[in-house]
Amino acid sequence: MKSIQRSLSVGLIAVLLLVGLLLVQTSLWLFEAGLRRNLAGDLRAETEGLLIALVQGAEGFKLDTGRLNPRYQRPFSGHYFRIDLPNRSWRSRSLWDAEPAWPNADGLADELVDGPQEQRLLSYRASYRRDGQTIVISVARDYTPVLKNFTQVRLGGLVLVGLALLALLLVQRYVVRRAMRPLEQARQQIAQLQQGRRQRLDIAAPVELQPLVEQINHLLQHTDDTLKRSRHALGNLGHALKTPLAVLGSLVRNPELSAHPQLQGNLAEQLEQIQLRVSRELGRARLAGEVLPGSYFDCAAELPALFETLRMIHRRELDLSWHAGEDCHLPWDREDMLELLGNLLDNACKFARSQVRLDIAQTPDGYLMQIDDDGPGIPEARRDAVLERGVRLDERAEGHGLGLGIVRDILAAWNGELMLTSSDLGGLRAQVRLPARTRGDG
Amino acid sequence: MRLLLVEDNVPLADELIASLTRHGYACDWLADGRDADYQGGSEPYDLIVLDLGLPGMPGLDVLRAWRSRGVATPVLVLTARDSWAERIEGLKAGADDYLTKPFHPEELLLRIQALLRRAHGLANQPLLQAGGIALDETRQRCSKDGQDIELTAGEFRLLRYFMLHPGQLLSKTQLAEHLYDGETERDSNVIEVQINRLRGKLGRELIQTRRGQGYRFGGAA
Repeated sequence: MKSIQRSLSVGLIAVLLLVGLLLVQTSLWLFEAGLRRNLAGDLRAETEGLLIALVQGAEGFKLDTGRLNPRYQRPFSGHYFRIDLPNRSWRSRSLWDAEPAWPNADGLADELVDGPQEQRLLSYRASYRRDGQTIVISVARDYTPVLKNFTQVRLGGLVLVGLALLALLLVQRYVVRRAMRPLEQARQQIAQLQQGRRQRLDIAAPVELQPLVEQINHLLQHTDDTLKRSRHALGNLGHALKTPLAVLGSLVRNPELSAHPQLQGNLAEQLEQIQLRVSRELGRARLAGEVLPGSYFDCAAELPALFETLRMIHRRELDLSWHAGEDCHLPWDREDMLELLGNLLDNACKFARSQVRLDIAQTPDGYLMQIDDDGPGIPEARRDAVLERGVRLDERAEGHGLGLGIVRDILAAWNGELMLTSSDLGGLRAQVRLPARTRGDG
Repeated sequence: MRLLLVEDNVPLADELIASLTRHGYACDWLADGRDADYQGGSEPYDLIVLDLGLPGMPGLDVLRAWRSRGVATPVLVLTARDSWAERIEGLKAGADDYLTKPFHPEELLLRIQALLRRAHGLANQPLLQAGGIALDETRQRCSKDGQDIELTAGEFRLLRYFMLHPGQLLSKTQLAEHLYDGETERDSNVIEVQINRLRGKLGRELIQTRRGQGYRFGGAA
């Protein structure tokens, strides 16, 4: 999954690393260039000192060793020279037997040259004319300590860059988290939305997020309104269709038609089929299904009314009870859930002797609902057949049939499953498993 | 028993009225929600059959209005809206029973019968029993001491009303109000004649006359 935090961190690290390294390296370059300029001055002064040490003797020039800096005498001291005259040349004693690659042109050599004992030498050459003779003086000094220092400085610089990086990352993390708090809040609320604990988003969102929150709320409202409107329209359609059907159903029983029993039977059967079809399709069309509805099923608010209705429909001494966890909110549309539970409970009430019980429990991966009755039950061998032909079997039951048909439609939309087992009350147990919604992490 | 039928579909209303009248109910019919709102509260109906899809005023609103004004008449809601959410809605509005369209006419009659008995605190048995008499409402005849007794439509209506109000003092006006619909000429002499016929068939002591006050069906007293 893509995380804003992570991509921000990656970007920041890349930029910081680049800038830090560039900064360390260029400052080192600049510093070294200044240093070499400085050293070039020193080396030039050295050549001048050597020039003075050359004295005119009887047979030409002669190097006055007394005037030489003692470091030119100590072997491998790091300070070396070579003086070239057309006919002879001098080397510093410190060079011992080494012969570095002296520069070929005047001025500071661009490249370091290899000296004795793995020294790296910064060399300088100057040409002078004295008494008509060309004197070429080359001096060199060990540059290794400087190089070592540079390495150390570079290392220190890198450590500093690293530390700065770390500090910035921490600060950035904090800042981003702060800035993202509304997003995190929105994420939690959307999760709550899917768990049925919330009807709309309700956060003080920053300007950037406000349109999103408003749009989501608007969509929720819109879905809810559309659902209500279409349900209302379906109700009207049902009314418009079923009232004439009721008239026809009554007309078919007219005594005048009793003289033609076959005609009457055919008419009645066709009417029955139309009625079933209309009820089934209207019921199916009413389902909200998978959408995020505006109104969820709040057990404590809906179940008492549902059970009251069941008691009203089944006017007999039935002990109806329900058990649901504290604060039980089922994240499915209120009317769909009423339809599902209503039909299953209605069936249970039809067959129960004295007791019907509903249990709703939350499981790790969703919800488990059990409807128990103490009626005759269904033999195990026939249960699959009941589920398979549930619709047909149910159609025979009097009154508002179609129960299992619509139950199957609802469960299909929710990816739920219905199982029939034996109840500990002695009758049938209808077991409904509903998987939790998995969108987001709700 | 006097019923109010509120149904805007004329053919269905015709059918229902015919069927209800055949079964001894006096029926008033209204098609508009606003009329029903007024008349349901002002006339002494024993039961109201209310359709929910009404012109003028939605059936549920009518029902809520009645209940908020303290009208306690049993109401059987008749509707094409058969989802559980709508049934619960109807119950919350104050319905006593809920029958979804399309329905079998017999089903409606049975529901009305059961609802009337319940409203009078009687158990829902196949036969209505009071004062040593068992009344078969479907076949409109009664039996006493194991003997079947045929009844005319008028006698049946009167006896049923008495049997649903055993031991209560019923004035002639009250009887007339509950046995005839709003459009029938109420002639108290007809009631007197029918009471005498019932006495002839079931025994004189069954219905006592309180002079100036009315009649009492003796059984439970």
